[in-house]
Amino acid sequence: MNISYAYLKDFLNTRLSQKKLAEVFTKVGFECEINKSIIEFDITPNRGDVLSLRGLQREFNAFQLKNFKNSLKVTKLNFKKDRSVINQIDKKGCGNYHLLLIRGLSKIKKLDAKKSKFLTAAGIPLINPLVDLGNYVMLEIGAPMHVFDLSKLALPINVTFPKLNDVPVRVIGGDIKNIKNSALTIQDQAGIQAIAGIIGSEESSVSKRTSNIAVEAAFFKPEKIVNQARKYGLATDASHRFERGVDPKIQKLALERYLFLLSEIASFNKAECFFSEHSPKSTKPINLSIERFNSFSGLGLEAKDIKKILQHLGFDLFAETSKYLKFNVPSHRFDMQIEEDLYEELLRCYGYDNIPANKPKSGPKKTRISNNSLSKLRLGLIYAGFKELMHMPFVSPETYASLNSHSLVPAELINPINENESLMRGSLFGGLFSAINLNIKKGYASIKIFELGNVFNKTKDSFSQDTHLSGLIYHHELKKNWGSKEFLYDFFSLKSEIIKLLETLGITDIQFKQSSIINAFSSNALNIYISNKHIGSIGEINLLATQKVLKKPCYGFELYPERIFEDISNTKLCTFSKFPSSSRDLNIIIDKSFVYKDVDDKLSQITNKIKNLKAFTLINIFEGKGIPDGSISMTLRFIFQSSSKSLLDAEISSEMEQVSLVLKKNFKVSFRA
Amino acid sequence: MQIPQDLIDTAKLKLKSVQSEAEFFQLRAQFLGKKSFIISAFSELKGLDPDLKVSTARDLNILKVKLTQLFEDSFNTLDAHKQNMLDVSLPEDPYHLGSEHPISKISNKVIEHFSALNYQIFSGNEIETDYYNFEALNFPENHPARQMHDTFYLNSDASSEFLLRTHTSNTQIHSMLEESMPLYMLSPGRVYRCDSDNTHLPMFTQIEGLVVDVDLNFGDLKGTIIDFLENFFNERMDVRFRPSYFPFTEPSAEVDIKFGNRGWLEILGCGMVHPNVLQGCNIDTNTYRGFAFGMGVERLAMLYYGVNDIRDFYSSNLDFLNQFKP
Repeated sequence: MNISYAYLKDFLNTRLSQKKLAEVFTKVGFECEINKSIIEFDITPNRGDVLSLRGLQREFNAFQLKNFKNSLKVTKLNFKKDRSVINQIDKKGCGNYHLLLIRGLSKIKKLDAKKSKFLTAAGIPLINPLVDLGNYVMLEIGAPMHVFDLSKLALPINVTFPKLNDVPVRVIGGDIKNIKNSALTIQDQAGIQAIAGIIGSEESSVSKRTSNIAVEAAFFKPEKIVNQARKYGLATDASHRFERGVDPKIQKLALERYLFLLSEIASFNKAECFFSEHSPKSTKPINLSIERFNSFSGLGLEAKDIKKILQHLGFDLFAETSKYLKFNVPSHRFDMQIEEDLYEELLRCYGYDNIPANKPKSGPKKTRISNNSLSKLRLGLIYAGFKELMHMPFVSPETYASLNSHSLVPAELINPINENESLMRGSLFGGLFSAINLNIKKGYASIKIFELGNVFNKTKDSFSQDTHLSGLIYHHELKKNWGSKEFLYDFFSLKSEIIKLLETLGITDIQFKQSSIINAFSSNALNIYISNKHIGSIGEINLLATQKVLKKPCYGFELYPERIFEDISNTKLCTFSKFPSSSRDLNIIIDKSFVYKDVDDKLSQITNKIKNLKAFTLINIFEGKGIPDGSISMTLRFIFQSSSKSLLDAEISSEMEQVSLVLKKNFKVSFRA
Repeated sequence: MQIPQDLIDTAKLKLKSVQSEAEFFQLRAQFLGKKSFIISAFSELKGLDPDLKVSTARDLNILKVKLTQLFEDSFNTLDAHKQNMLDVSLPEDPYHLGSEHPISKISNKVIEHFSALNYQIFSGNEIETDYYNFEALNFPENHPARQMHDTFYLNSDASSEFLLRTHTSNTQIHSMLEESMPLYMLSPGRVYRCDSDNTHLPMFTQIEGLVVDVDLNFGDLKGTIIDFLENFFNERMDVRFRPSYFPFTEPSAEVDIKFGNRGWLEILGCGMVHPNVLQGCNIDTNTYRGFAFGMGVERLAMLYYGVNDIRDFYSSNLDFLNQFKP
């Protein structure tokens, strides 16, 4: 709500500067900012009662502990009930309905410059003096008003929910809206003339030629108005107020004020006022325990202090004992329900800043040991040169389809910001691909990035949410270093990088298994298992899955950190030999129907069985010249060591024989010198 | 003992004809090694009478320093040595320096502070039902307060309405239902609002704290917040609490800090937990009270690092990210 400072200052009868005044309101809960000569109030939705000059004045007086008196000039009216004017009002949606009928209007002048400026500053356009005046009274008192052209109304009025759904009505401004039967409406004998509390029909609106008007002031129930304006795309100043709650006791005052101000700018023959109402639900007084309040706030206020503050805010004392005070809630305070609501009023006026701060309290000592693996994995990646990135999780159906298995169903937004990105991501790679692409364009040739975040899918009757830790390595240095040293990054660099990462968590039983399809990866990919639990995958990125974002080889990994647990068991030390070790190399030629892992698995099995064999490694592979087609040569290095002596050549040779035999038997290998 | 006067000259002469590093070190051993004149002369000092001992020792020392210097200087000018020498000023091999995202860094900084106060960390679900995101937090259906949160809704055939959480307060409800009291918890995580411009992102990061304990009062809340802010910014802060409104707290407050010459800046929201929220989680409000606070991590990060455009954090621009230390 925007209010001209000059106008507000006069209304409040204060000499405070604009800055000071803004500060005073901000401090008691009505945040405001200064914009040139205007104060912009950001009124929270629980305080609809402050959306007027009078509301601001009531608060302003209260926290200065000044009494609030109504000093507005009015023309007193006699309110009559007459079913030929207002027939019925629906109890569910309408508490009271008032119509001020004015006939024979003439010599209508514009609002004076001061009021016009005030309205313009508030962002309310000037339309017609009769309407402008209604808007002015709304800003002044807080009661939204609607002005009908009385000549176009076929009385009596009914305030009711339509019997039919989707009744088309041309509203002010010319748009046609199909009115749902959930909307409270103002109907005359011809049909719907207004959506209650939101907007009137074009048909019954006032024009330059209007000489008879019906001015409406009413109390519509907030719960029936809220969401209605949005439904029709019609957020108006009136709906904003009705949604938050308009004081059900100010309608008569508003109309009397309207009439008074109208008589300053126009002549008329006759003014009479009609109303219909349902007796309002009586609000319950709220009990306040003095002791409980003081323990809640940390203050030591006495009954007299409490009464003074609350009474200035319009809460009348209903009953009192030495320990309890009971207050009536004023009709405009829709937000007051429980004792704590009164506490807030007291603390607000006492000043939050005047409440002493205590030393922070600590929680009970934790007994649970939390899984630290996630932070260690992140740290490991950072040390390995990866940059952490974050992306928005919205993706296009194409991106989702290219990165996720067809058996998954995406989580789809009903109201996405961007129509093209209506799905929640099912993989982190989409964002990472774009990030690589963006930075290649910026001139980076070598990029290591990772992201930690959730991915989503739809399940049978809910949604799944899994944490992924994914990364990409794009390594295409434009220049080698000055010594032409080459830096190659390939699948096996990635493999060692991931093993290193997992081993920093103390994990040693890491297994890799080939799988036929892993999304986002080419066929050069592996699934990773720890204790037979699938904890992620690594591989060469399938460039097709990047939807042409990437054109050069790139490696990636996807880990599921929720399945990875640090191995925090104690280290078990083994005795180690004091004697030197020896190594022997063995060149085998093996059919390519075997993969290295077959050899590795077999040799691992026998390592424990051959007495002095400690370890083996693959040191070279070769195929081509001199190697039969369909075969490959592997050079294996075997390490021998005894715990009790230095081994003799003959002892090692005999054990090497055993190794050769095993290889021959299992893989039909031949040997090369 | 006779100290040969021409020792330095002899060394100089011999150094001139040195061809390789090996020859150089041989020569050095001859003059400064264990068997050299100088070193053996030191061991002979013992037998001399005291006066002579002092003056000879001094002379020997001077000579040793001069010789050492001579060999050091000539090593650097030795042709043979020069050939082996690297231009060590050449640049290092290319390397990658990793770093944490600034949003993670700030989140972790907050988490660290509250972990030290024994707050437990729960991160919760990003896809949530209407109940945990709104209803249990005292946002009645058809309440204008819901309009403060532009909510993303998900397409679902299930009976409950699913949405992207608009705050991490949903985690507080889950925790209050599952954990035992007293509860000191922090819920960091991503939250979503259906709105996007220069200062708003459809996804951002929030950290909320919740304490439920006996004898809590508004002063405890204030103290916890002030202590956190001063620790976070590592300086005495001007902190202002002003009344505000959140459906799940009563009373509610916004907290402003004075930051540089920019005047008061809103930094977080907080309040005493609304009794409806506690009661909804089966917590006896005669025994327990709660306070809660919440902050936007992007906003904290913007202030902390002086970032002007919130979108930079999600731009993946390495030129931006490379400026942050690991």
